Order: sequence, then structure tokens, then C-alpha cells
Amino acid sequence: MLAEQILNGIVLGSMYALVALGYTLVFGVLDKLNFAHGETFMLGGFVAVAASALGAPIWLAFPCAIVLCGALGLLVEWVSFRKFQSADAQITAALSSLAVGLIVIDLVQKSFGSEPVSLELPLAVRTATVNIAGTELAWIKIAILAVALTLMAALHALVQYTRVGRNIRAVAESPLSAALLGVNVRQVNQQTFVIASALAGMAGLMLALRTGYAASDIGFTFGIKALAIMAIGGMGDLRGAMAGGILVGVIEALAVQYGLGKLGEVVVWIVMILVLLIRPAGLFQSSTRQRA
Amino acid sequence: MIQDHLFFTGINILLAWSVYIILLSGSLSFANGAFMAIGAYSAGVLSVKFAWPMALALAAAALATGVLGALIATPALRTRGVYLILLTTGVTFCVQVLLENFDYIGGVGGLGGMSGATVWHVYGAVVLVGVLLWWLSRSHLQRMLDAVREDEQVAAALGINTVYLKVVCFALGAALAALAGGLYSHYMSFIRPENFGVLVSVYVVLYVVFGGVNNLWGALLGAVVLTLLPELIRGLASWRPLVFGLLIVILLLVCPEGLLPWRSATLKSRVNDD
Repeated sequence: MLAEQILNGIVLGSMYALVALGYTLVFGVLDKLNFAHGETFMLGGFVAVAASALGAPIWLAFPCAIVLCGALGLLVEWVSFRKFQSADAQITAALSSLAVGLIVIDLVQKSFGSEPVSLELPLAVRTATVNIAGTELAWIKIAILAVALTLMAALHALVQYTRVGRNIRAVAESPLSAALLGVNVRQVNQQTFVIASALAGMAGLMLALRTGYAASDIGFTFGIKALAIMAIGGMGDLRGAMAGGILVGVIEALAVQYGLGKLGEVVVWIVMILVLLIRPAGLFQSSTRQRA
Repeated sequence: MIQDHLFFTGINILLAWSVYIILLSGSLSFANGAFMAIGAYSAGVLSVKFAWPMALALAAAALATGVLGALIATPALRTRGVYLILLTTGVTFCVQVLLENFDYIGGVGGLGGMSGATVWHVYGAVVLVGVLLWWLSRSHLQRMLDAVREDEQVAAALGINTVYLKVVCFALGAALAALAGGLYSHYMSFIRPENFGVLVSVYVVLYVVFGGVNNLWGALLGAVVLTLLPELIRGLASWRPLVFGLLIVILLLVCPEGLLPWRSATLKSRVNDD
């Protein structure tokens, strides 16, 4: 029972981590908060709903979520961040993306209604189990965890070992020096938004598969917690976002296990407040990479 | 109906000003919905459970929330910009969950039984606060706040106690939001934690951004326009978040300083220089 709750926590945490990675990627590169990110995540769930309503196989929802959420990310970059590049415009960009998020929520609610929409899945997908080390585990949880971990590994490889990743790291270090060295900063910003938004879309899609419904308010419940996780892990720190996400997921699952329920919801905020006050660089931030 | 709209407009003006006061020192607060909730609940408890007269309950609630605001602000204001946005968002969520789990004040079910506030009370408060803010905008203090907002290090070098000013502004903003919350609870007569979600804080900040952050008329205009516009134009009410979001996005692209961008103190100083 305890082991299962911990697995649930890790599965939940891996989705927190995917969303937090998007926040932290954008913050690392542009030094700005993308408040539309939670809504991009929410949209991913509704892609799954739309796909199953149209009778498409569920695997088809994955590329659709990547394309749609990636496009939303490009739009947000264009509307809310392109014009507000300077350090003084931090708050302006945050508010503008927040407004874009409100628009996305309203459009989704007008199309699907404001109540959570349930997602019809074949029974076999929901109830299939695998036997690992003597415990029966739901197949879908293992699959989701595997996809999430693969995505995180892919992101790590992308950022560390490819040309795109090198450019992203260069712009994160200093947009000006990167531009002087011939990096197309605008293109890097766009790539960052597409990557972050595609990850969020996948996370939203998998959360819908896991819970069996998509809700239009998860941007402000689930999504915004990922924002706190980003701060806990250190703003701009990829490993911090992954570790922080899984940590918070497990803490929340354990809070449910021990009957603390609602209190588990605030733990993440209390930890974030303490981290920001005591160690603003984040729990996991190494001393070599400081970000004021 | 008309009375309700007027009432909510007045409350939103007070809330917008509570964000504006904090912005004067360069800090953006997403916790004003939470301060409103604390004010609404503490004033409500005082008048329902202890039978205090409304005016006294409101004053006590505003004072207590102001002190709480100062306590929160003192460590929180060490951080700036996006960090403060995150911190104040965190405060909002913590207050929300606290209210839902505190049975003495009704928990999720809510608190009822307050009465006595009318539209006149609210507009009395609007006029009073407006006059105080207008006086502030022509005072020496406004110049100091301008200096702190534009460049904290230079302001500190000029001998301005920046931390003190920022904490005072934050406390005053919290107190004003609490006053608005107290009036709200005594008009509605029944409040629930869900009335004060994070979206309340978000909307109030957007009122100020829409009208303009540099003078007190901007916050007033933003609150009035964005509260009344969806009600005045038939059929717009159901599209409120969409219209609201589009207006903000377009406005920020066209004139990032808001609808009323001028800065009263700066205008005056230019005249004096000539």
C-alpha cells in the first residue's frame, strides 16, 4: 500500500517535473515568468479529449498535443515576450502572458464547458496491470512514468549535447554575448518556448489519461504548483525542477496516505516561501551557476 | 441590480488602489485577494461572534491585516520582481487553504450573518482614500517613492530608508484591501473561501495595469472600466475573461504604461525646473 502510494507520488511528480521544466527553461533563457504555461499544460488534456471524441486512436493525441501546444508557445512568445525583452519588462511580460492564459481558459471553457470533461478510454487500457517484484501495478502508471522519464532524459540530452541546446545555454548565460557570437537569439527564444510548451502539453495529456478527465482549471491548481516547484528547484535549474517535481509529488501522495489531504496542497507553497526567503537560488542550485 | 454594480465597482476601486499603493514602492503583490479575505473574515467574525459595531470591526480588521502585511513584507521584500510575485502567490494559496480548514469561521461552508454596509459606505471610503492618495501624490513622500521604484540603490545612496518605505507601503496596501474585504462581507452577508481565490488577486492587478500604474486615476479608471464594461454591453458578460484578456494583451503591446500613463509628480517637477 505504501509502495503503491509512493509510486503514485512519483507518477504525479514526474508530471509536475515536466511542467516545472518548461517554466524553468523559459526563466533560464529569458529571465521571465511565462504565466500562460499552466494553460498550455491544461490544453494538452483537452487535446486527448478532442481526439477521443473524434474517434482517433489515443496515440495520435501525442503528436497533436506537441504540435498544438508548441504552436501556443510560439504565439505566447510572439505576443507577450517579443516586445518585452529588457530586464525592466519582467513584470509586464508576466502580466501579458497571464492575460493570454485567461483567454485560453475562456476559449477552452466555451468549447468544452467549464465542468471537467471525462475521457473515454478502452477498459483494457485502464485496468491492465503488470506484476513487478510481486506487486500488481497499473500498466498505465508505468507507461506514463516511462514516457515522462524518457522526455526528461531527451531534454537533458538536447540541452547538453546538441547545437540547439548549446545555443540555449549560451543565451541563458548572456543574450548579448550570444548575439555577438552569432547566435540567433530570437530563434533560440522561439525554440525554448516550443520545447517548454510541448513538454507541458505532453504532461497535460498524460495527466488526463491517468485521471480519466480533463479540467479547465488545472492551470491554476496543478500548473501553478509547478511554478512553486521551479522556485524550489532553483529558477533556471533543469535538474532542480526534475528533483523538486518528484519530491513534491511524493510528499503530496504521502500526505493523502496519512490523511492530511488538503494540507498536502499547501506544503509546496510553504516550502517555496521558505526556500525563497532562506536560499533564493533554490535547493539544488550549485554554487557555480548563480542567478540573481 | 444597479446598486450591486455600483457596490462592486467601489470595492474594486479600493482593491485597485491597494495594489497601487504597493506598486508605488515598486513591488507587485498577488496577495491582495488574500488580504481582502483576511479582512472580510476578521471583520465578519468580530461583528457576528462578538457583536462589535461595523465601523469598529472594519477598523480593527484593517489594522490587524496591516500589521500582518508588515510582518509578511519584512522578510519578503528582500526579494524583488518575479520572486515577489511568486512569494505573494504562495501567500494567497496558503490563506485560501487555511480558511477552508478553519472550522471556527465555517470552513468550506462559509461565514454568514454580517450586515450593515451600503453603497454609501463604500463610496465614502473611496472618497476618503482618494483624497489621501491625492495628497500623497503631491507630497515629498511621492518623490521618495519614485526614487525607490526607479532605482533602489540610488535611492538608498540618497539616504532614503528603502526597506522601511516598502514595508509601510505593503502594510498600507494590505490594510486597504482588508477594508475593502470587510465592506464586501458586510454587504454580501455571506462569504466563502472560494470568493477570494487567486483569480481575485490577478484581476485586481490587471485593473491597475490596464488603467496605468503611474497615477491614482489609472487604477480608478481601470477598476471602473473593467468592472462595468462587461455589464454595460449586452452579451459581453459571458465573454468576460476573453474580452478582459484581449484588452490587457493589446493594451500592453500598444501602450505598456496603461491608459493614463502620466506621472503627476514628474509633471509638477518639470514646471518647477522651468
